[in-house]
Amino acid sequence: MSNETRMVNEIREMNLQYLILAQHLIRSDRAQATYQLGISEAVADIIDALSPMQIHRVASSSTLMCRVRIDDELVWSLLTNGGQEQGDSPLDDARRLHASILVATQSQEALAS
Amino acid sequence: MSTRSLVEDSRQLQRAVSLIRLGARLQMLQSETDLPYERLLRLYKEVTGKSPSKGQLPFSTDWFVAWQPNIHSSLFFGIYQYLLKSTPIDDVEAIMRAYRLYLQELSFTGVEPQLSITRAWRLVRFVDAGMLCTVRCTRCSGHFLNHTFELTDQFVCGLCRPPARAGKTARTSKAARLAASESDEQTEVH
Repeated sequence: MSNETRMVNEIREMNLQYLILAQHLIRSDRAQATYQLGISEAVADIIDALSPMQIHRVASSSTLMCRVRIDDELVWSLLTNGGQEQGDSPLDDARRLHASILVATQSQEALAS
Repeated sequence: MSTRSLVEDSRQLQRAVSLIRLGARLQMLQSETDLPYERLLRLYKEVTGKSPSKGQLPFSTDWFVAWQPNIHSSLFFGIYQYLLKSTPIDDVEAIMRAYRLYLQELSFTGVEPQLSITRAWRLVRFVDAGMLCTVRCTRCSGHFLNHTFELTDQFVCGLCRPPARAGKTARTSKAARLAASESDEQTEVH
């Protein structure tokens, strides 16, 4: 198998896993899922309604269906501790929570726009 | 004589059970369901196996602006607002779901939850009453809770500018902290 085919296969695998997880989350609690996945309710409805055949078809693509949710250097630097070794001090915990708050804020703003 | 529909009745019961499982105090159940007190009391004992704790609820808005509680409260409230915007659910549903998501978020850190479901509910009511609001941090752009009438032109959140002693105290054990927060809930009456 060429490297390229392997990559495309891995992307399809990832898409499949993502869509199956998304359906799972949406069906267990739609409202919570919109936050966990960072999608609108309209999109949640569509994913929920996908049949297994449709999921396969949608997943078979050379592009990823999910993308990085946070497009913000600050959040990444908080999550990765600015590239330093992650510690277990209360301040490291605070950084994580800080990142979580920013994700909540940004998700909200993305929804409003 | 109750003329309510059975379906509505069971919905209320289901909501009460979910709230009790999340650790809600009896006052919250009384306020957010139409079930009679006696029934709630029985339900509480049945679900938790013990009598509800007595005493008044904390009334102060100050708790929510203290350093650590503010971090927890702001996280919960950010999720809560997202849910209200993203889906057509009523606010108690949103409180319960946002609270679960808040607990999930914390489960990946070493941090013990500081916010109880009852506090989370008080928080939402304080914001409804205009006593607390969210302010955007001028450094990180995150939304943080604050007293409504404070000057906030140059607001910097407690995480961008932690107080000098933040994180310096030895970590208290889980048991000690829980005991402290419980006595805090009992005694903080203004």
